[in-house]
Amino acid sequence: MTKRRLMLPVAVVAAAVAVMAVAAGVGTAGSNEANASYKLFLIPKFIGIPVFTLNGAGAKAAGKQLGDTVTYNGPTAASATAQVTFINTAVQQGANAIIISGNDPNAVAPALKRAMAKGVKVISYDADVAADARDLYVSPPSAKEIGYAQVEWLGSQIGYKGDIAILSAAATAANQNTWIKYMKQALKTKKYKGMNLVKVVYGDDNDTKSAQQMQALLQGYPDLAGVISPTTVGVAAAARVLQQTKNCSKVALTGLGTPNQMRSYIKAGCAKKVGLWDEFKFGYVAAYAAHNVLDGKITGKAGQKFQAGKEGVKTVGPNKTVVGVPPLVFTKANIDKFHF
Amino acid sequence: MSGLGRAVWRVVARWEVILIVLIVATGIWSATLSSFFLQRANLLDLLTPYIFLGLLAFGLTFVVIAGEIDISVVSTMAVAAASFAHLWNAGVNVWLAALAALVVGTGLGLVNGLLIGVLNLPSLAITLGTLAAYRGLAYLILGGEAISGFPTSFTNIGGGYIRNELPVALLVLCAFALVLGLLLHATRFGRYLYALGSNREAARYSGIPVTVVRVTVFALAGLMAGFAAITYLGYYGSVQADAGSGSELIDVVTAVVLGGVDIFGGSGSMLGVLLALILVAELRNGMQLANVSGATQDMVIGGLLIAAILAGNALRAAQGGRLRIKRAGSRKEVTQNSQLDSPVQATIET
Amino acid sequence: MSVRARVVSPQGLAETVFRLRELGIFIALSLTVVFFSIRATNFATAGNWRDIATDVSIVIVVAVGETMVVLTRNIDLSVGSIVGLAAYASSNTLADHHGMPLVITAALAMAIGLACGIGNGLLVAVGRIPAIIATLATLAIYRGVLFQVTHGENVFASQLPQNFLDFAAKTPAGVPSLAWIAIGVALVGGAVLRWAPWARDFYAIGSNPDAARLAGIPTTRRVMTAFAISGMLAGLGGFMFAARFASVDVVAGRGFELDVVTAVVIGGVNVFGGSGTVLGAVLGALLVATIQNGFTLLHISEFWKIFFNGAAIVVVVTIDALITQRLQENLRRRRRAEIMSAREQAAET
Repeated sequence: MTKRRLMLPVAVVAAAVAVMAVAAGVGTAGSNEANASYKLFLIPKFIGIPVFTLNGAGAKAAGKQLGDTVTYNGPTAASATAQVTFINTAVQQGANAIIISGNDPNAVAPALKRAMAKGVKVISYDADVAADARDLYVSPPSAKEIGYAQVEWLGSQIGYKGDIAILSAAATAANQNTWIKYMKQALKTKKYKGMNLVKVVYGDDNDTKSAQQMQALLQGYPDLAGVISPTTVGVAAAARVLQQTKNCSKVALTGLGTPNQMRSYIKAGCAKKVGLWDEFKFGYVAAYAAHNVLDGKITGKAGQKFQAGKEGVKTVGPNKTVVGVPPLVFTKANIDKFHF
Repeated sequence: MSGLGRAVWRVVARWEVILIVLIVATGIWSATLSSFFLQRANLLDLLTPYIFLGLLAFGLTFVVIAGEIDISVVSTMAVAAASFAHLWNAGVNVWLAALAALVVGTGLGLVNGLLIGVLNLPSLAITLGTLAAYRGLAYLILGGEAISGFPTSFTNIGGGYIRNELPVALLVLCAFALVLGLLLHATRFGRYLYALGSNREAARYSGIPVTVVRVTVFALAGLMAGFAAITYLGYYGSVQADAGSGSELIDVVTAVVLGGVDIFGGSGSMLGVLLALILVAELRNGMQLANVSGATQDMVIGGLLIAAILAGNALRAAQGGRLRIKRAGSRKEVTQNSQLDSPVQATIET
Repeated sequence: MSVRARVVSPQGLAETVFRLRELGIFIALSLTVVFFSIRATNFATAGNWRDIATDVSIVIVVAVGETMVVLTRNIDLSVGSIVGLAAYASSNTLADHHGMPLVITAALAMAIGLACGIGNGLLVAVGRIPAIIATLATLAIYRGVLFQVTHGENVFASQLPQNFLDFAAKTPAGVPSLAWIAIGVALVGGAVLRWAPWARDFYAIGSNPDAARLAGIPTTRRVMTAFAISGMLAGLGGFMFAARFASVDVVAGRGFELDVVTAVVIGGVNVFGGSGTVLGAVLGALLVATIQNGFTLLHISEFWKIFFNGAAIVVVVTIDALITQRLQENLRRRRRAEIMSAREQAAET
């Protein structure tokens, strides 16, 4: 390559570098103003389904009461690496605290730790992240309680014996795996010994995939007595499949579902009993928790208490965990009382 | 046009210069979208999430200049990353596992190269198949698991910072750009690629070892996918089988096409691709800071891709006329190359 | 037409080989059915076949459109996004207007698909953008449009009218309603490709675009038509998707294009264009769906399914390409022989 031909590209590169250097030099160093009002970022597993939308709405309501700004944003599908982008963006945008439900507890940890090193407080909720990557964990009702309850709900419908399967969400979500762990534990106890777990399948919180997995379960295990689906997307998809294939009376279904989505199926008998909690209040409490952590009132030590707005006083338990909301159970009798 | 005017035009009317103008313009636009854009930390970190895209784009550049296409590069990266994670998780030393990732990537690229270069199969169809097959391979290796927790000495390559500010990955990208740029523009191999992309038959007749070159170029793309996997792992700190199954492919293709590489082969420059990468990263960063959703961002990049090709087409049409906008390496006349060789000659009955 | 005459004409030779192709897939399909009937419990039940039929119907409808595009030596990767967009449009319309007749909703879905398809056609035929790039871009663009329209929110089954929810489960004459749609589309598509002169042009364009243009075929218009049909059928597929899955979210249909391309490629539609039939695509779709179903019944991991799809494309494309190359050589040799003998005859006289 002749010297002349090299000159132009080199000049171009030099110009580019110069421009970038000037821009970088001129660029302001990010400021972290002293604040009475905090910037909170809520990053759900993904956006687009009611439970997370309600979390966001609840957090924003809390933010209004507290005078904090709450931003709600996340990936369009359950992906841990996609959440990393949102974590980093939140830090760039000057977040004081990140409230996150992790798609994978370890995959988001490095980014969260980097945020913490920059002074950002991290509050996990719903699906926990690695313990050293968050300052506090706001939990739904105790995992053991949720796990055992669902086994009981299903067992009571199938006479406590038969083949059962679990339709879960993402294989990597901490809350799913913890619940499944407790379900398996429950199945070993005397009361549920007659129930036999034949398969755990993953619908990734994607409606189409969940429906396909449910169909595959029905095809692959024709003697299936019941299915537990601890995910609002999964249980709705499963109920629909049962209804479409006219299997409602043959296969029992339970899990965690929102009243609005499950109402018609509960009334039709395709899912006699499902549970959840108030997702709006869940987001609300999580935002209050974040605010209190930022104020320094909560450091995660067991026994600390804080006022979660209208939701009363919450107490921190072991492992920097505080239970945010009580459980709810929906049946034909009370389903019309709830509208979320 | 006066002599001075023509000289100025010759400097300004280069694809790369246009890209720089666009970069500055995008910077201004991003700054208006969000006040966080111009923060030094943000500007320095602009490219870090996209380093692996850049390495993939560099590899793809070689393939496209040689007149082929390889849309399986992202899936190759996923398999390389999955292999690394699986091996490391099983106890293998992290650097050996990283080497394995490079070997796996090159191997998969080689498979493409043999099918396309030796058996003379169409690159589009084959890489469409390997895109899916390799993705499946990644799932077979990792299942639904995510593997993370790699040692910091390793993740520093993709995610580490010097003195807490300068991303290591940026240096990695520049190093590769330099080396690959030299390979493309200053070696015989590079010249072979341009010749091949311009006119394969003529290249064969001038003594260029066409088969060897074609096989090599796909293996090279695979090797770059292996390097991309390493930086990906460093930045994200974890990997799942669905790595790169989102907008990554379109970003890579856009970086290459926007970089001035002619999609029909025969011209393009590494510098252009680097600049285009910066532009794409800048755009995404700006939109991300403004809380624009991922789907909308993809839409913008898609539009950019189309605009880039239309611009290239318009240029090629105008090249016959007065205006000449130079693209590095383009020497060929304006001829329409069919993307695929026609398999069956239509016989026109007389 | 005697076999001899067929073999002598070059097109006839190609046609014969590829007609054999469809026979080959049919045999493979039959063998697969027999295999799974023996090895997998519940495979050979009416219920299972109804399930397969309902699922594969959507693929078939979109594959018919994809076939037209691939015949012209192009490809349409945006069908997944079009399906999502049309599915959302269908569900959303019905959620807001419970009384809307399903036929109108389907027509709306098809209209949206048609618009998207025309967009593709403009980019490829008029804009001269290689189809792979253009449809990769529109894949992102149409998905982005879907997001803009939905703001990330879903349509839920609970919002939809009951007649729509029941639609997919109905089985008039024992065959699922979605399957009837697929049968209708396949028959019409096959007939069009066989007898409509403008559709026959697809084959010519795919075999040799330049020659086709020289022969007077309005290639731009034809390619646009192919993409328009592909889009329209993807729109119909979206309607069927909404009927099947009810709940439609932003990522509906993502990755669907790969299922469609797999079906088309395995079905013998040549990726370099110029040959293939709707029957082949239908058989290809059935073969893939049957194998996937069999995998499920045999409890084979779903990850093997993903790998199988991709590996199948590579293997089939390789075999098809090798056969085509062999054909090409044969034709050249034959042509050379004809010219030589013609010259000798002329020299003798």
